[in-house]
Amino acid sequence: MIRSLHWRLQIWHAVVLVTVLGIFGGVVDYLQWQTRIQQVDAELDRATEIVRARMWPNRMPRGRRNPQDNPPPAAPNNNGRPVAFDIPAPKILPHHDDAPAILIQAQQPAPSPQQQPAAPQPPDAAPPAPPLFGQPGDPNRFRRRPDGREDGRPMFDPRRFEPNPKLAEEFAALYEGNHETLPYFILWMGKDRILAKSANAPDIPYPGLKEEQGLSERRVQTRVEGHDQVRELAHGFRFDVNMLVGRSLAPELSAQRSSTLLMILAGMGVLAVGLVGDYWLSLHALKPIAKMATTAESISVKNLSERINLEKTDDELGQLAGVLNRTFDGLQAAFEQQSRFTADASHELRTPVSVILSHTELALSRSRSPEEYRDAIETCRRAGQRMKTLIDGLLALARYDAGQPEQEYTLVELDALGRECLDLLRPLADERHITLTGHFEPVRIKGDRSRIVQVLTNLLTNAIRYNREQGSVDARIFPLENFAVIRISDTGIGIPADELPHVFERFYRVDKARSRAEGGTGLGLSICKTIIDAHHGTITIESEPQQGTTVEVRLPLAQS
Amino acid sequence: MHLLVVEDEADLRRVIASALREEGYAVDTAEEGEDGLFKAQSWEYDAVILDVMLPKRDGWSVLNTLRESKKTPVLMLTARDSLNDRVRGLDGGADDYLVKPFELKELLARVRALIRRAAGQPRPILEIGDVRIDTVSRTVTLADEPVALTAKEYSFLEFLALHRGELVTRTMIYDHLFDENEESLSNLTDVYVSNLRRKLGHDLIQTRRGQGYLIDD
Repeated sequence: MIRSLHWRLQIWHAVVLVTVLGIFGGVVDYLQWQTRIQQVDAELDRATEIVRARMWPNRMPRGRRNPQDNPPPAAPNNNGRPVAFDIPAPKILPHHDDAPAILIQAQQPAPSPQQQPAAPQPPDAAPPAPPLFGQPGDPNRFRRRPDGREDGRPMFDPRRFEPNPKLAEEFAALYEGNHETLPYFILWMGKDRILAKSANAPDIPYPGLKEEQGLSERRVQTRVEGHDQVRELAHGFRFDVNMLVGRSLAPELSAQRSSTLLMILAGMGVLAVGLVGDYWLSLHALKPIAKMATTAESISVKNLSERINLEKTDDELGQLAGVLNRTFDGLQAAFEQQSRFTADASHELRTPVSVILSHTELALSRSRSPEEYRDAIETCRRAGQRMKTLIDGLLALARYDAGQPEQEYTLVELDALGRECLDLLRPLADERHITLTGHFEPVRIKGDRSRIVQVLTNLLTNAIRYNREQGSVDARIFPLENFAVIRISDTGIGIPADELPHVFERFYRVDKARSRAEGGTGLGLSICKTIIDAHHGTITIESEPQQGTTVEVRLPLAQS
Repeated sequence: MHLLVVEDEADLRRVIASALREEGYAVDTAEEGEDGLFKAQSWEYDAVILDVMLPKRDGWSVLNTLRESKKTPVLMLTARDSLNDRVRGLDGGADDYLVKPFELKELLARVRALIRRAAGQPRPILEIGDVRIDTVSRTVTLADEPVALTAKEYSFLEFLALHRGELVTRTMIYDHLFDENEESLSNLTDVYVSNLRRKLGHDLIQTRRGQGYLIDD
């Protein structure tokens, strides 16, 4: 049993450990990936800012006049510490007015108010679409007065924008180093008109990116591109200009793969250590159980005084040992009581047997007169009678010790019973000149009729026998609260105070000689007490030596 | 021989006393410890048969107190047969210990042995000249011819023979041959002596006038 409990514990612990490690590892992995992506997003944000700073040439950032005061966004600094994943800081080019505008990459032909751009498209551009930037047709071409009328001043002078053929190179130059982490960008107008893009930009059908209207906000996504994953950030700007900045996630993916592998290995190591430690710990914890089992086995009838010995008594095993030890205490007490009882019983039986044997031996030793024979036989009969009484009493006690089923209980009218017993014992009382009186009120209890008769008879007989000359015995039965009370008082020889606690003990006799002369066995009161206990009642005795004795029995009233 | 039986169980006391009397012993009885002790201290009994469980004073106590003043042989009777009880009894001064229920035969034999031992006569057969006294069967032969003696006569003879070489005074005779219920008549003693002389020869018992009798070595 211990073996299988041990292994069951192990298996369950392993399952729990694997689950916990798995969940923990999964969460950590996910968080790591999120962190990486956030860093990539930050990079893309910076790239966006960099491009955006050059998007509106000659336009100062709001509130600033001096370009030097407001340089484009700084490279990722990370407080001077190296940036994770080895992304080199882009170089910052000074921003001055004559910086080439990023915006225009000369997709459109020379300004021609009425002309739609039917010019040949660059090889990698999407099909052209109308409203041009600052061209006729662009609703935002001119500034508007507050009342909505145009005031003739162009909002935006497209001539100020010059195409920058080196835009992609310059952008790439900002990110030196690792080609893998090189971002790309695409600038386009409207739905499909590319304004500028970097050399490593992938082929994306822009209508697919955002089909409905132009982008007006920031959208981020991860996309699969061939064998790779890319992270792209799309921004929408004024004048229907949209920008996409993206980057390959290849380095992040590989880094994530290796860190995941590392975590798995670490997790397995932890699991192994956990299992080994767990094995050892549970073995250690279960050892006391094996020890307890061995000790308990060795405690048998022959060795009933031994007890389980544990050092720690306050933990669960200690409590178990305590419970077992108390059980053994109970068993030992029961055994001792039983062997004491057997010894007492056989002792009590030896004397009448001795009488019979001796008398018969003597009577048969030679020829005798009929009177002598009669005397011997009479003596034997008396002894036999005594043995019968003793055996009956012992058997009754043994039956009660083993438990009495209460289904045999019926309703008993105590007052009728009392009158019956009184009539039964009147001859004995008259013989000894004892006055016998009784006052019985109607009272009902639930019990075994014949046993209650036994109790009443025994108590009345004691009262009559252990009485003085011309004494009296008074019996009363009445209800009191929830109880039926039987009270028998006599004017007898009484019981000394120091013997009073013992009178219910088996074979205990206060006046041995007198009791034996009356044929007493010492069992009467103990049988009474056993019967009354079985009926959930109480019995108490008050006595004054030379004055008299009162016995009071209380039994629960029958609930009607 | 004069014995005391102390036993509270009336029927048992009666049968033991009857059996012993039939054997020719003078038997006194007591039914509780105090009375038993008093009697044992007051008289010179040849043996006391003492029950352990007695009212008023138990057998152990009687034995202890008796041993302070007397060396009377004591045979203890009891229903307790555990080893401890037997050892306690014997170590406490009892000369023998018998467990109830017992065979009367065994009781009688043990009493005989007790008396023999106390008198320093371990052998069961006493020989005085041609007279042969078998204490076991309580018979006497004269030159191998059985001699019929009454129980009292036998007791008297046995007593004298066991105290061979010693003067047996009248007092001793009263103490040892009559129980409390008999009136001590000195004539009876003379009658026993003359009967024994008639049956066994005149040389057997010597008279010391005014003192007693004895059987010579």
